[in-house]
Amino acid sequence: MKWGNDLSTFVEKFRQYLKPGYYDEFDYHWTMTIDLDRCTGCEACVVACQAENNLPIVGEKRYAQNREIKWIRIERYWEGEYPDVKMGFIPMLCQHCDAAPCEIACPVFATYHNQDGLNTQIYNRCIGTRTCAVYCPYEVRYFNWFTYTWDEPLEQQLNPDVTVREKGVMEKCTFCIQRIRLAKDNAKDDDRRRVRDGEVVPACVQSCPTEAMAFGDSNDPEAKVSKMMKDPRGYTVLEELNTTPSIVYLKKAHAES
Amino acid sequence: MSKISRRDLLQYIGAGGIGAVGGVLYSESIERDVELLIPQVVPPEDYSPGIATWYNTVCNQCSAGCGISVRIREGKAKKIEGNPVHPVSQGRLCARGQSGLNVLYNPDRIREPLTNAGQRGTGNFYPISWDEVLTTIGSRIGRLKIENNASRVRLLTGRVRGHLDELFAQFMGLLGSDHYQQYDFTYPSALKAANKISFGIDQLPYYDIKNADLLLSFGADYLGTWISPVHHSLAYGHMRQGRAGRRGKTVQVEPRMSLSGAAADEWVAARPGTEGLLALGIAHILVSDGHYNGSDRDQWSDVLQAYSPSAVSAETDISEGNIRQLAREFGTSKAALAIAGGATTAGTNAVASAVAVNALNHLAGNLGQPGGIIFNSDQAFSATPGTRQAGMQGILDLVEAMEAGEVDVLLVHDSNPIFSLPDGVGFRQALDKVPLIVALSSFRDETTEQADLILPTNTYLESWGDDVPDPGVGFPVASISQPVVTTLYDTLPVGDIMLSLVRQIGGELPMAMPWRTMEEFVKERWREEYEKRGSADQDFEAFWQAALEAGVWGQPGVMTGDQIVPSGASTIAAITNPASQFAGSETDYPLVLHPYLSASLLDGRGANLPWLQELPDPLTSVVYGSWAELNPATAEDLGIREGDVLEVETPAGSVSVPALIFPALRPGVVAMPIGQGHTAYGRYARNRGANPMDLVSMQIDDRSGDLAWAATRARVRNTGERLQIIKTDGVTRTLGRQILGPKNDHA
Amino acid sequence: MFDHGQPSYAEVNKDILSVMLETGPRYWMLLGTTMSVAVIFFFMPWFYQLIVGVGAAGMNRNAYWGTYLSNFIFWIGLSHSGTLLSAILHITNSPWRKSVYRSAEAMTLFSLMTAALFVMVHLGRVWFVHWSFPIPNQMGLWPNFRSPLMFDVMAITTYLTASSIFIYMGSVPDFAAVRDASTGLRRRLYTIFCFGWRGTAREWHTLGWAYTFFAVFVIPLAVSVHSIVSWDFALSIVPGLHHTIFAPYFVCGAIYSGTAGIVTVMYCLRKYLNFERYIGQVHLDNLGKLLIALSLIWSYINILELFSTWYGGSSFELEALKFKLTGFYAPLYWEMILFCAFVPLLMFFRKFRWSWNKMLVISILINIGMLTERFIIVATSQPRKFLPNAFGFYFPSWIEISITIGSFAIFATLFLIFIKWVPAISIYEVKETLKPLRRDA
Ligand SMILES: Nc1nc2c(c(=O)[nH]1)N[C@H]1C(S)=C(S)[C@@H](COP(=O)(O)OP(=O)(O)OC[C@H]3O[C@@H](n4cnc5c(=O)[nH]c(N)nc54)[C@H](O)[C@@H]3O)O[C@H]1N2
Ligand code: SF4
Ligand code: SF4
Ligand code: SF4
Ligand code: SF4
Ligand code: SF4
Repeated sequence: MKWGNDLSTFVEKFRQYLKPGYYDEFDYHWTMTIDLDRCTGCEACVVACQAENNLPIVGEKRYAQNREIKWIRIERYWEGEYPDVKMGFIPMLCQHCDAAPCEIACPVFATYHNQDGLNTQIYNRCIGTRTCAVYCPYEVRYFNWFTYTWDEPLEQQLNPDVTVREKGVMEKCTFCIQRIRLAKDNAKDDDRRRVRDGEVVPACVQSCPTEAMAFGDSNDPEAKVSKMMKDPRGYTVLEELNTTPSIVYLKKAHAES
Repeated sequence: MSKISRRDLLQYIGAGGIGAVGGVLYSESIERDVELLIPQVVPPEDYSPGIATWYNTVCNQCSAGCGISVRIREGKAKKIEGNPVHPVSQGRLCARGQSGLNVLYNPDRIREPLTNAGQRGTGNFYPISWDEVLTTIGSRIGRLKIENNASRVRLLTGRVRGHLDELFAQFMGLLGSDHYQQYDFTYPSALKAANKISFGIDQLPYYDIKNADLLLSFGADYLGTWISPVHHSLAYGHMRQGRAGRRGKTVQVEPRMSLSGAAADEWVAARPGTEGLLALGIAHILVSDGHYNGSDRDQWSDVLQAYSPSAVSAETDISEGNIRQLAREFGTSKAALAIAGGATTAGTNAVASAVAVNALNHLAGNLGQPGGIIFNSDQAFSATPGTRQAGMQGILDLVEAMEAGEVDVLLVHDSNPIFSLPDGVGFRQALDKVPLIVALSSFRDETTEQADLILPTNTYLESWGDDVPDPGVGFPVASISQPVVTTLYDTLPVGDIMLSLVRQIGGELPMAMPWRTMEEFVKERWREEYEKRGSADQDFEAFWQAALEAGVWGQPGVMTGDQIVPSGASTIAAITNPASQFAGSETDYPLVLHPYLSASLLDGRGANLPWLQELPDPLTSVVYGSWAELNPATAEDLGIREGDVLEVETPAGSVSVPALIFPALRPGVVAMPIGQGHTAYGRYARNRGANPMDLVSMQIDDRSGDLAWAATRARVRNTGERLQIIKTDGVTRTLGRQILGPKNDHA
Repeated sequence: MFDHGQPSYAEVNKDILSVMLETGPRYWMLLGTTMSVAVIFFFMPWFYQLIVGVGAAGMNRNAYWGTYLSNFIFWIGLSHSGTLLSAILHITNSPWRKSVYRSAEAMTLFSLMTAALFVMVHLGRVWFVHWSFPIPNQMGLWPNFRSPLMFDVMAITTYLTASSIFIYMGSVPDFAAVRDASTGLRRRLYTIFCFGWRGTAREWHTLGWAYTFFAVFVIPLAVSVHSIVSWDFALSIVPGLHHTIFAPYFVCGAIYSGTAGIVTVMYCLRKYLNFERYIGQVHLDNLGKLLIALSLIWSYINILELFSTWYGGSSFELEALKFKLTGFYAPLYWEMILFCAFVPLLMFFRKFRWSWNKMLVISILINIGMLTERFIIVATSQPRKFLPNAFGFYFPSWIEISITIGSFAIFATLFLIFIKWVPAISIYEVKETLKPLRRDA
């Protein structure tokens, strides 16, 4: 009888786990929206992330070898030919997929989904198989091919809230988890169960000069992201892969002529 | 060798190899050196480990004057973000502004005063004490002053605003030299001159992009490099999607698609140098089609007579239909705004083009209107920023004076004319005639390398100062700069250096300029301003503390006061045919050279910052280098592939750069980013790429006296060599995949 | 069965054991060479890579896997004939198996070890490789059993263990023979190795039973190992890797390359260890026929893969396919097709099947083809996945090429050591195939 109970509990849990929206049952589901009609491709977000998250300066040679590390990058796509040529920019960062292909890949659980819907990356657990990066359809995982150093005294600007990664370790956008942690701590100190909308602002979102990005908890219907997600321009990149990303893009609007 | 020993040898090799691998594995798996958590024995008082403090100050990476907040942990600057209460940046920041940390912690900063020990230009410098260096300069200038030869002392700075500007002016004034001038390559002199002509106001007005419905930009990369990119980006975001049901439209006129061109709904590649003509063509239609009904309609009609759509179409290579369409939209939009900048205001016709664009604004009736041009009627402080911008004419005068041996001491601060001027100016050669060159600089750029004495300055993040953004934001604003960290090296704030010099020179100077430090001076001036404005509800100390904390003081209410609406008469009078004259004949030089400011390195000042060198160029994704862009058709005609090293030649000179095929470039144009090609300026900048200023012919727009850096013809020759252009882009077509929008959007 | 007349029991012992007991300078030179090549080409570059980081290899942000992984699969593949074939042939009672199986099983073992080395070389932080094993620790961390890499770890360690036991078990009576033929330290060592084998009927019975049991056990294991290895690829959604056919494809390819490998090894044993008497036409003929069959299956699966990709019509897959067939690495692809699909057809002719030299060439070509097959899978798929802007390119660095060369030396070294410690041909089983005992020895 007891075994039967255990089994049914197990089956129940497993079902729950398979159900889409599993993370809705937790307090937070961190989500980002990016409005491509605002984004100008200015790359302020790229530098913001580099500064906040101690991304290495890899140098010209490493760039030439395609070994750059930029947790958020701007992808460029041309449409048409001269003179009717158009440029489309799209900021590409970890989509924090709810059904993340990268997560099944990791043999040591260095990357896994946390209860806030984040795809987390534990650097000191990573053994560097790079499977997660091969599996990631958005190619937003970056590997430390070398141990990068900073020309003295550039190391003084390193953010003490974020570790510096060594060679052999995979890294990627964390949705600025250090800022999420800080906001949660502050909420706890204030005897609040949840952080307020707008209390967590990742570095890229913070910097964006056109206010193209929004970040928040999509479990909260009143949050800005929840409202942005409802915009009819909303879509997710490579939707047919069913990775259920936590980043909703709003496609560029067109001028009425 | 016996059998046994061979065997042994092999065993040793094997064992050694395995042992070595094991050793590495072991050493990799154990801990690394432990670093000290708190480096100082007695830490500063505002220092609490683990707690971040934020200090507000001003960005100095371009002349927009964004307010910034710097995050400090354990006494070190960790991050720069926009100051949320600052009206220019409103909490946001561009890539350059955020890279300010690379300025502060740059490994190539000058760390102590240096002298070249009499060997100028060799690049050899030796440490010297502050006392000695200040005495040397002080006594030299003092002697000139006593001999009434103070006009032989010249001061050349970059963009300097706020009370540092006043300090310099006072210093030179008290010496008795009126030769204090500023030169900033990016300063929109032509715009200012044109605005003075059109509106009779000698200032840059506020362009209210935020509330515009149609923004027609002639060459102004307002989102990337023009005047106040962060502020414009904020406005742009709002204009696009910040107003429910009202999406503003943007049109960009330029031969090479800039960041703003990429964002625009329409990109119009008029023939280079004819952008102003296009503006007049549109103006013509506005008047003739009855979109403008002012009392001076007839005068407008007369002066625009010559710019019929057909005539303009022939010149600009833009179809008549397209011109009419643009005019109709401009005439019918609720708030239509036209701006000019970039190459449009860098021809021999710069002012004429800017006046033509002003004419559009007149005709659209947007002067003093929301979504139009707002004049900064009430400036904070008495300062009128930008008045000391020498323009090219001022530089030529300086060069002439130096050549004539009229300059004994040249003080250069934060300006790099050797890099950012064409060789034709002869600045570098003229320096040979100057007995003493003193550089006040944080970095050994090309000009500093030529100095005899280098006075190392603090970076802006270690200095006191203040700033009045230029242009303002439509209401009075002033920002405070304060040091956010303790000075890293044996360097001084530039203001403090000047005040030390004051004391060295002696005479009546110390009396007139009694402040010991820049901090003292700024505070006193703010006190005066405070008293003048007479806000009685606080005492000054409280006001000062509040201003320091906020990093900014402003009076947002003042904007909506009585706005000046200048009449169109002066604009009408100033309209002339804005067709640029290009150096070089079309037969010898079939292409037009289009230099443009790099989105990250700007005019080259960012080239020493590794974060910016590593930032992919927004349109091409190139990092760490320069390149020459060609339209695919032009490239095919010339048999050029991407990565072929081209010799780009103009009447002024030639450079070798790899070719990049760029789809959004007018055929017959060769475009090159400005910013690389440094021969000095630290490890990240030196010997990287080419400087297109080496190609620019010395031509001046008479009406503004500014350099016409976009008015040179060029030809390219395939050298047959190849060079890898380092870029991050793979394939730049979506191949029909769901990337930029839902799949059903793609045909 | 025996090309040069049937040997006596004593001759069998002498022939086979002499390889172990008599060592000439040629052996030492060969061993010295292979060891030096292994150290210089494999361990020294690896050592360098450990110091600077995996960036010493040519992989980049568009291609996170490279030759290390493709070589890993190649070596796993090569391991597939030995034990598997031996087990199948044992169960089906094929007499011609007896003189080839020992070396074939050794091949399994050593290629598995080489493959395992490639895993180590591939890892970014090999010094933490033990975290991929379920070893209890105070951090409470446990490997991720959803990861195909975890399946790999499990499958390969199991396969390695089972294969080791299998080969050891089959060698016990021969260890006893070595014991009996030697004196001193070696005698004492082999007394331990053979567990004091005395050759009683009970011992033979137990051995026979246990051996058959293991043969049955090892067959599904071998099939699973390469299926699982294929899942490293197929369980991803990367175009060009995400194919359900991959498991059978890899298993077939593995057996194919393994069988070709056996031909190569047989050739060397025969040629250099003078085993002509034991390895003859019948082996060659049978292996040749097997190779033809495998080659046809392999070709069929390849056509199937092309067809289903085309028929599936996924734009991602088609793009990947186009790159594979016409892109930079297309010459390698067509070389593989030539070597693995067309060249083996020559073996339909007895002239080829019965010629040791011709078979050697064919078997080597097959393995070159299989080595490239694995490389193509890795090098053409992942640099061109879903976002065109992130498309890139992969080319191995000299370190990867060097380590690839070195791995063959490691394999050879292990084999050379092996033939000095274990009879390379099963003595007792060869004897089983002799006609009833002649008493003239
Ligand atoms: N954040 C945090 N704070 C803590 C604690 C904690 O767990 N976390 N633990 C608390 C406890 S329990 C303790 S006991 C204290 C310990 O606090 P401290 O007494 O400050 O101990 P340490 O910092 O380990 O050592 C003090 C210094 O002694 C130096 N030293 C070592 N050997 C010698 C010697 O032979 N001669 C001399 N002259 N100097 C020597 C070391 O280099 C070091 O600089 O910290 C307390 N504070
Ligand atoms: S900062 Fe904002 S506008 Fe700039 S590229 Fe990033 S998302 Fe786009
Ligand atoms: S975007 Fe890539 S790395 Fe991020 S969760 Fe999805 S699969 Fe993983
Ligand atoms: S690279 Fe690191 S995180 Fe990625 S799968 Fe391997 S061990 Fe896991
Ligand atoms: S959310 Fe944070 S970690 Fe992710 S891209 Fe933005 S700044 Fe980087
Ligand atoms: S726009 Fe200019 S002032 Fe503002 S952050 Fe950027 S560089 Fe600094």
